[in-house]
Amino acid sequence: MSARRTIDLFARRDERPSARLEQSLPTGGHERASGAGQRAPRPAAPQPQVARGNRTPPAGRAARAAAPELWLGLHLTGAAGRCAPQGLQRLAIRALRFTPRVSLVPPDGLLLEVHASLRLFGGVEGLRRALRRECADLAIAGSLAFAPTPLAALAAARGECALVLQDAARLIGSLAPLPLRVLRWPQEVLDRLAAIGVRTIGQVLRLPRAGFAQRFGATRLADLDRLTGRAPDPRERFEAPVRFRCRRELPCESASHGQLIAALAPLIEALERFLEARQCGVLALECRLWHRHAEPTRCVLRLADPLADAARLTELLGERLRMLTLPEPAHTCELRAGEPVPRALCSSGLWQSGEHGGVPEARGSAFIERLRARLGPEAVQGLAVVPDHRPEAAWRVTEPGACAPSAIASGDFTAARPLWLLPVPRPLRQRDGLPRYRGALRLESEPERIETGWWDGRDIERDYYEAVDVYGRRLWLFRERAAPHRWFLQGVFA
Amino acid sequence: MNEASEPAYAELHCLSNFTFLRGASHPQELIARAAEMGYTALALTDECSLSGVVRAHVAAQERGVKLIIGSELTLECGLALVVLATDRHGYGRLCRLITRGRRAAAKGGYRLTRNDLTETLAHCLILWLPGEAPRAEEARWLAAHFPGEVWIAVEVLRGGADRERLAALAHLAREIGLPQVASGDVHMHVRSRRKLQDALTAIRLNMPIAEIAGVLHPNGERYLRERGRLAKLYRPQLLEATVQIARRCTFSLDELRYEYPSELVPPGQTPASHLRRLTEAGARRRWPRGVPPPERAALEHELEVIAELGYEPYFLTVHDLVAFARSRGILCQGRGSAANSRVCYCLGVSAVDPERGAGLLFERFISKERNEPPDIDIDFEHERREEVIQYVYGKYGRERAALAAAVILYRARSALRDLGKAFGLDPHLCARLAKALQGWDGVERWSERLAAARFDPADPVLSRLLPLAHTLVAFPGFPRHLSQHVGGLVISAGRLDELVPIENAAMPERTVVQWDKDDLNALGLLKVDVLALGMLSALRRAFDLVNDLRGTRWALGTLPAEDPAVYAMISQADTVGVFQIESRAQMAMLPRLRPQCYYDLIIEVAIVRPGPIQGDMVHPYLRRRQALEPVHYPSPQVEAVLRRTLGVPIFQEQVMQLAVVAAGFTPGEADQLRRAMGAWKRSGGIGHLREKLLGGMAARGYPPQFAERIYRQMLGFGDYGFPLSHAASFALLVYDCAWLKRYEPAAFTAALLNSQPMGFYAPAQLVRDARAHGVEVRPVDVCASDWDCTLEPEGDGQPALRLGLRLVRGLSQAGGARLLAARTGSGFTGVQDLARRAGLDRGDLEALAAAGAFAALSGNRHFAFWDVAGTQKPLPIEGEVCGHGEPAPLLSAPTEGETLVADYASVGLTLGRHPLALLRPALRKAGLCTAEDITALPSGSAVCTAGIVLMRQRPTAAGGVTFVTLEDESGQVNIIVWARVGDVCREALLSARLLEVRGRLQRQDGVTHIIARRLRDRTALLGTLLTRSRDFH
Repeated sequence: MSARRTIDLFARRDERPSARLEQSLPTGGHERASGAGQRAPRPAAPQPQVARGNRTPPAGRAARAAAPELWLGLHLTGAAGRCAPQGLQRLAIRALRFTPRVSLVPPDGLLLEVHASLRLFGGVEGLRRALRRECADLAIAGSLAFAPTPLAALAAARGECALVLQDAARLIGSLAPLPLRVLRWPQEVLDRLAAIGVRTIGQVLRLPRAGFAQRFGATRLADLDRLTGRAPDPRERFEAPVRFRCRRELPCESASHGQLIAALAPLIEALERFLEARQCGVLALECRLWHRHAEPTRCVLRLADPLADAARLTELLGERLRMLTLPEPAHTCELRAGEPVPRALCSSGLWQSGEHGGVPEARGSAFIERLRARLGPEAVQGLAVVPDHRPEAAWRVTEPGACAPSAIASGDFTAARPLWLLPVPRPLRQRDGLPRYRGALRLESEPERIETGWWDGRDIERDYYEAVDVYGRRLWLFRERAAPHRWFLQGVFA
Repeated sequence: MNEASEPAYAELHCLSNFTFLRGASHPQELIARAAEMGYTALALTDECSLSGVVRAHVAAQERGVKLIIGSELTLECGLALVVLATDRHGYGRLCRLITRGRRAAAKGGYRLTRNDLTETLAHCLILWLPGEAPRAEEARWLAAHFPGEVWIAVEVLRGGADRERLAALAHLAREIGLPQVASGDVHMHVRSRRKLQDALTAIRLNMPIAEIAGVLHPNGERYLRERGRLAKLYRPQLLEATVQIARRCTFSLDELRYEYPSELVPPGQTPASHLRRLTEAGARRRWPRGVPPPERAALEHELEVIAELGYEPYFLTVHDLVAFARSRGILCQGRGSAANSRVCYCLGVSAVDPERGAGLLFERFISKERNEPPDIDIDFEHERREEVIQYVYGKYGRERAALAAAVILYRARSALRDLGKAFGLDPHLCARLAKALQGWDGVERWSERLAAARFDPADPVLSRLLPLAHTLVAFPGFPRHLSQHVGGLVISAGRLDELVPIENAAMPERTVVQWDKDDLNALGLLKVDVLALGMLSALRRAFDLVNDLRGTRWALGTLPAEDPAVYAMISQADTVGVFQIESRAQMAMLPRLRPQCYYDLIIEVAIVRPGPIQGDMVHPYLRRRQALEPVHYPSPQVEAVLRRTLGVPIFQEQVMQLAVVAAGFTPGEADQLRRAMGAWKRSGGIGHLREKLLGGMAARGYPPQFAERIYRQMLGFGDYGFPLSHAASFALLVYDCAWLKRYEPAAFTAALLNSQPMGFYAPAQLVRDARAHGVEVRPVDVCASDWDCTLEPEGDGQPALRLGLRLVRGLSQAGGARLLAARTGSGFTGVQDLARRAGLDRGDLEALAAAGAFAALSGNRHFAFWDVAGTQKPLPIEGEVCGHGEPAPLLSAPTEGETLVADYASVGLTLGRHPLALLRPALRKAGLCTAEDITALPSGSAVCTAGIVLMRQRPTAAGGVTFVTLEDESGQVNIIVWARVGDVCREALLSARLLEVRGRLQRQDGVTHIIARRLRDRTALLGTLLTRSRDFH
């Protein structure tokens, strides 16, 4: 028999017994190990100590008396729980209204330390109502609980037990009926606990500390200590994300492009500084111009890569502004940046690009960005080859630059393909079974038979020919294999 | 262009669907199409395979088309070629080459190098396949190594640059000095198979079709093209070359001569004299008081026929296998037609005494007219059959022995699953699509089934997919891959790999020929079926257990015969676990037929079959047996044949004999009739034999009604006729099982449990049945259980049955063995002690804890798991047991429900109350009665009950009826679900574990059924309770 003391999970940690805590211990209502006969073969089972351990008073936290805490746990349920993290973050921003101590527990939990805010917001009930309103506003469903430790508040919320507990002494008794799954332990651990018949927090808290830690790990024991307040549970504070937004009145009302750009320049520089400080870039930028009578004009710039460079931003925004026609002169301008995005930093080369030793500049993408800024994003597209025997399905539109030019050049066709395809094959008239297009056509090649594409409903069965028309142009024709064997023009060779 | 002016052509490069997932036509279709097109010859050149050639050969003989045997090969270096066999020698070399390539790679693949080619090939012609970018080096190498035997295959497939390609190849041919020949790279017999070919390609590459569009053939030109079209594409010389090559290939599969292995004959003996000696020795054993004269005459006749056909080596081979098995103590017994033979009886291959199984017919086994090798199937203990197979490999070597192949065909579900994937459907959707169909759903019911599963058959994707699936499953079914036959061994005198290529099977240590059993039959190759029978394992174990316990020496066939108490038990359908007669249908028949002797058992085994049921033989027989209907024979000859079955033909042998005595058939013709009976559904009738049969009977003065009835009954046999010989072999095992069940139920149950999985019933039902028969069953216990279930003697009465560790789910066999070894010293003091001494890992310990096997050490399962969890960490000091210093935790005891769930989850059975006993209050409230309540109700009353689904059966012969057996705490209930009800309640019928049934009670001849009117899935009531149902389709 060991000399070790039997200590249960919430046995005292310090030597100051707390009468208050002892009173609040759960005493009745719990199942006790039954059937001593079943366990008869167990050698020297030191049961009584466990039984006494069950009544050993839990520790109070000296620190807590000094700075009492009350945590509000919010557990998002239903669709909102799944469509986190935006919902969670939005809610957290609003929750900052009630207390500066807000913590996120992704994906679906939110913690607020509200002890100091109780009076201001009308006590627990007032807070509950206020927070419910915020949830409803964001169309988020959730359950709330108040408890002296963050983990307890969250566990109670997850267990959908509308606990309101300010008294730390009653904590364990209130948590006891909660199922263990609210602790979010790995399923494997929960399964092993279920195998010894332990399914609730109350049951797990009655296990011997050492035995529990040995079997289920010290981290689980630490979880329980944080749950019951035996161990501190510091939480990282949530801070609302910041975005750049800056507004400036123009020296005088103006519709001139140059003056507008000049007015925006300090704003863009401020943006650059803002982004540089955070080592970030932006992917979207909005410029708003206020007019005396008309609705504000909005000009949105979208970027391919995160950008923070003021010169480039000015250049691109300038291109966008040039496209705008203002209803009347503007008196105020404002710059709003999208969310800051981490940006890969690069160092400048010693040599200018193009110079000896200089790195060739990524001129292509800059050029495409400028073209798109000027012509609109839809006007500039890339091409890619698709391995498909059907000419109309053998290529597709891509983002510019998404497909290397070499991939287009290296299509391994056995027979010649024209570079220019008609959007839709044009039916040809025919005479004596031969096609005509602005006069008679001369078939130049042997037929290339293509029969494929049945799987997506665009089955083709055609014989392709090269032909020369009366002007000497080389055309690409096909004849359908199915009756009535119509002829079509599909492409023109360069 | 008219027929005469079209040039002659032979297709020399043609793949069938035995180039799996590439070829899109059956060999038969290709042959038929080649005949229509007037081709001079067709070479079947499947990729590194000759699996399709026998079918092609049979079709080619019917159609009068010349078939050339060859194979397309791609070497490791990329060289692609077609090899054609010119003569028998060349064919043998080709077989060896394929064998070499296949044996060098994992199942399904092959690996060949140029060395293999030069070392193996001879007497073959080669077509070089130049590929997209011809490499002259390949052609030069081939020309140098196979002078005068190489052609350049010119394949014009309308790629758009054919003229350039023709010119380039012609240039190459001139440069190297090789002749050219036209060929077509044929993948399908008609161009309309293009879509299927594309889909098969996608399945082969395991990619959606849309993503591999560029890899597919650009057009459908790879079919057997009209000769007129070919004339426009190729120069005449190239077409002429095909015919010249075809002329040089003279080999036909008819030339294959199979020789039986001959080493089993001792020196100085001939096969005939050796067989006679063995037979005589066996006869003395079988008939210690001398061979009765009729048997002697029959024996002489058999030996004469065997000698005439030269089958002695075959009998000697089989005898050798049986002798080997006996020497190793492996139980074995012949089944099937071999029991018709007295020689087999004397050799110990069959165990059916010809006098007891009167009516055996030697011609059913071997007939001179048929000129086909006899077919001997032998059952071995299922767990020890591998020893016999490896014995054969060891004795004859892998060049001379291999397993027969089984061609795995597309079925509805696999076709839909594979095609769904090829169409890029979501995997869940594919699974749902496949699940919407049952194996038994015919093509005509697909739309209905899919609609029921909320699919729209008119959906564009489905409307493209379904016709392809139809082609895949249409008779004879598209082959998907090659697998191994359950036990057909082929053994030859010379090199087997010169008769047929041999490849690796998925199982290690197994090799398989590329032909299946029909192919082997068609060419007359010997095959011995070495089959596995679980019941033989169980019987051996039961004999061992009983002999150990009682000091007896019981063995197969030595139990006291014809014990009335055994028949009394059988007649009450108390047959759970008894071989062959434990099924639901058999149990329903037993109280009606009430078997009283061995012959009745033979009838019982044979009568509950689709054949007799469809031929309407069951009810006339039962009525006559119960003397409700007079027995009338139209003539004494017919009476002689049918007397033992009361005038109703039940066995195939009787039908054959009827044809002989009543219609004047020779025994050989009668056997043809039997085969025609088996095939009439496919061929649409038994043809000229019908006239001969009816005419013959009319000529002998039988009334036309009688003749017509006999004919109808023959058709009823269809594929499912049961030969007397087979039933007689099985009936012997039935009796032995029943005897053991009657007198040694504990040993019998232990043996069955130790031989799982086998039979109809799961361990839970077997144990329940044993306990109902008064056997005490004790739980799995680490301190008492062996690996197997064992008997614990209790005085002279029935011993108690101790469940073995083998029932513990998740316990490794090695762990179990260590535990038993550790226990031999001294008992365990605790879980920690056990874990340390047996060196068990946590998985094994938890498996034992879950099984409740630690009850003696820890108490209930909760404490067992607590103790097990505490043993994980290695101890710092040997001998210190850390569990001792630890306070015992406060753990609640598991509830009865929890224990029950845990019992089922781990051991698959509970020794506590039946799950439904726990649910009974809720069930009573819902107005559901128990199986026991039902026994008190009169026939015709409305009943409503619920039970755990033990099994569902949907016999093909029953026309859509499903039979369901339910079990509750008081017994079992049999449910009949007609197709109409089954369709309405399909979900509940197919998936419920706890099923509620409302219907009407039907009681007849002591058999009770509920005719279901409504089914309801009550599985939810079970909560997490795990139950297992065994489904048989």
